[in-house]
Amino acid sequence: MGTVHARSLDPLPMDGPDFGLQGDDAELVEVEPETKQEVLENKDVVVQRVHIDGLGRTKEDLLGYEIADVFGARNLIDVMKKSHEAREKLLRLGIFRQVEVVIDTSEGEDALPNGLDVTFEVTELRRLTGSYNTMVGNNEGSMVLGLKLPNLFGRAEKLTFQFSYGTKETSYGLSFFKPQPGQFERNFSLNLYKVTGQFPWSSLRETDRGISTEINFPIWRTNHSLKWEGVWRELGCLARTASFAVREESGHSLKSSLSVSSSCSAAGWASGGTADTVKQRESTRETEQASCTFVNELSEQNNLETLLDLFLVTITVLRFIVCNISTSAACYLVRFYLGGPTSVRGFSMYSIGPQSEGDYLGGEAYWAGGVHLYTPLPFRPGRGGFGDLFRTHFFLNAGNLCNLNYGEGPRAHLQRLAECIRWSYGAGIVLRLGNIARLELNYCVPMGAQSGDRICDGVQFGAGIRFL
Amino acid sequence: MSLAAEAFVSQIAAAEPWPENAKLYQPLKDDQILLSDHASSLAVQAYLRMCNLPVQVVCRANAEYMSPSGKVPFIHVGNQVVSELGPIVQFTKAKGHSLSDGLDEVQKAEMKAYMELVNNMLLTAELYIQWCDENTAMEITRPRYSSPYPWPLNHILAYQKQWEVRRKMKAIGWAGKTLEQVLEDMSQCCQALSQRLGTQPYFFNKQPTELDALVFGHLFTILTTQLTSDQLGEKVKNYSNLLSFCRRIEQNYFEDHDKDSLASSSSRFSKGPSLN
Repeated sequence: MGTVHARSLDPLPMDGPDFGLQGDDAELVEVEPETKQEVLENKDVVVQRVHIDGLGRTKEDLLGYEIADVFGARNLIDVMKKSHEAREKLLRLGIFRQVEVVIDTSEGEDALPNGLDVTFEVTELRRLTGSYNTMVGNNEGSMVLGLKLPNLFGRAEKLTFQFSYGTKETSYGLSFFKPQPGQFERNFSLNLYKVTGQFPWSSLRETDRGISTEINFPIWRTNHSLKWEGVWRELGCLARTASFAVREESGHSLKSSLSVSSSCSAAGWASGGTADTVKQRESTRETEQASCTFVNELSEQNNLETLLDLFLVTITVLRFIVCNISTSAACYLVRFYLGGPTSVRGFSMYSIGPQSEGDYLGGEAYWAGGVHLYTPLPFRPGRGGFGDLFRTHFFLNAGNLCNLNYGEGPRAHLQRLAECIRWSYGAGIVLRLGNIARLELNYCVPMGAQSGDRICDGVQFGAGIRFL
Repeated sequence: MSLAAEAFVSQIAAAEPWPENAKLYQPLKDDQILLSDHASSLAVQAYLRMCNLPVQVVCRANAEYMSPSGKVPFIHVGNQVVSELGPIVQFTKAKGHSLSDGLDEVQKAEMKAYMELVNNMLLTAELYIQWCDENTAMEITRPRYSSPYPWPLNHILAYQKQWEVRRKMKAIGWAGKTLEQVLEDMSQCCQALSQRLGTQPYFFNKQPTELDALVFGHLFTILTTQLTSDQLGEKVKNYSNLLSFCRRIEQNYFEDHDKDSLASSSSRFSKGPSLN
C-alpha cells in the first residue's frame, strides 16, 4: 500500500551531557552483543530513525509534527512513552484506522550501537466512508445517511455530508474541517446546512438554511471558539389553529451572529451522576435584521459529593437575554423554554410560562435547579453487570421562566424570577446509555404550577442527553 | 385538531357577532404590495364595506406568510383567520351577512361564473404581467416584492416567487403566450364584463354583490397603478361603463368613510386621472 517515509536525526546531538555515558554503553554493547536488549533497557538510547509505514495519501509534513517528540527521548522507557503519545496523537487526527508501534535497534551502516528505530505501522482510512443510522426523537423518526471523506487533501482535512430523512422533515448538512498541522486543537471549520424542525408546543415550524464558520483555538488549558453564523430562517405555523401571536412571527428573516465561547473542563463522568465540573461562559451577539441585538449569559455548575454509594448532584442553570435593543419583542425562537422530563420534571415538554391559546411563547429569562440523590437499585439485581447501568434517584427540581421589562433594572428582574416558582419532586429509575444518553422513568409530583402551565402528574418518561 | 373539530369550532365562532376590532392584513402599502395583491385586498375591503362590516387595515411585511393559505389578504376576526375573498364571503354568510341572498339560483350561478372569469383572466393576466414580463419583473415586481428583506435574502425570495408563478403559468398553459396575447385576453374579459353590466349601476341591478366587489378591486387597481407601460389601463379605459362603475363604487363606499384608515389608502389611488 505505501511507501516508507523515514526521518532520521543524525548526527546525534553531541553537546548532550550524556555523551560520555554513551561511549560507555557502546563499549558494553561490543563486549556482550547477545545481551544488547537488556543493556538498552537500562541505559540511554538515541532514536535514530522514525519510520511511518503504510502511508498513502497522507502528507509527510503533517506527521512530522506529531512524531517529533519521539526524537527527544533519551532512554528506552522514554521512547516507549513518547511513542505511545505519538500513537495517540496520530489516532486523534482521525485519518488512520489503526496505528501500531514497533521499536527495534538500528541497523545499517550509520547505525549507532545504542541507536533505535521506531516504526509506526499505520492503516489509513478509506477515501470514502459511509454510515447510516436511525434516530427517534421529537415525535419523529428519521433515517440519517452520512458520507465522510477523511483526510481529503492529505493533511487531516475532513469533508462530511449528512442527510436526514424523517417521517416529517428532511435536513442535510455539509461540513469541511481543517486543523492546523501540528496543532490539531487549532482548527477551522465551515458548515452549510438546512435544518427543519417542528415545535408542537408552540405550533411552530422552522426551516433554517445557514452557513457558519468556526475557529477553535486553545490558550493554556482552556478552549476558545469564535463562530460566525449567517442563517436564513423561515417560520411557519404547524396548523390553521395556531395562535395569532405565533402566526405573526411567520415569514423569512436573516440572522447574522457572532459568538465567542470559552470552556475548560476538568474530571470526567462518574458512573452514577455527572461529576463533571464545567464552567462555560458564552456570549452571543446577534443581529436579527438589524433590529434585535441581545446577549446571552450562561453559567452552569455541577457538583458531586460521594457518600458511600450515594451520589448527590446539584445543578443550577441561569440564562437570560441581557439586553434587547429592539422595537419588537424577541422572536419566539431566540427565547427560552422550560419544562419537561429533561428539565423541570412533572411538567409537559416546554410547557411553563407565557402562552397564547395553548401555544407556549417562551420567555426572556429562566433559571432552573435540581438536586438528585442517586442510589443503586434496591436489592441490587444484576450487580456487576447490566444492573450497574441503572440507578434509582430521588429528585427535587425547581425553576422559573418569565419575561423581563428592561426598564426595571436587575433587582426587579431577580424579584420577578423569584415569584411563582414552579417546582416538583419525585423518584424514578435512570438508565445510562454509553455515558452520553440517559433514559428516565419517574413518578413526579408537580407543585407551584401556574394557570396555563401543562402539568404531567404521575409517571413521566424522559430520554435525552442534557438533563437537569 | 381533526377536521370535524375544526369545523365545529368555526361554526361556534360563526355564531358570534362581528366584532369591532376585526383586522384585515395586507403587505406594506407603499413599498411592497403588488398589483395583484392590491387588487385582491381592495376587493375584500369593498366587499366588507358593502356588507357594512367595519375592518381595520393592517400592513405587515410578512402578511403573505401569516396567511393560512399563503395568499393575501386575510382577515382576523375574533380568533378566526380567513384568507381570500371566496372563504371570506362564506365566513360572513355564516355570521348572517350576505349580499347575494336576494338572487335566484340562476343569478347565483351566473355570478359565480363571472367571478371565475375575473379570477381566471384578470388575476392571471396581472400575475403574468408582474412576473413573466421581464421588464416589469425587473423594474417593479422584484424590487417591490423583496423590499422588506436584506441582501441576499431579497434576491432569493424574489426569484423563488417568480419561479413559482412561472411554474403555475406553465401548468395552466399561459407560459407560451406573448404580452399582446395576454392583453388581448384581458380585453375580451373586459368586453364580457362591460356587456353584462350594460347600463345597470351594478351587475345585478340595484344591489351590489361580491362580483361587484371583485370586479371593482381589479379594475380600480389596474386603472390607478403605474406600471412600466400603460397598456393594461388603456384596455379598461375603452369601456366607459366599467369606468363609471368603478367611480360609482369608489364614491358610494370609499369616499363617504373618510374617517376610516381605508379611505386614506384608496385616496392615493383615486389620484389617477381616469377616475377624477
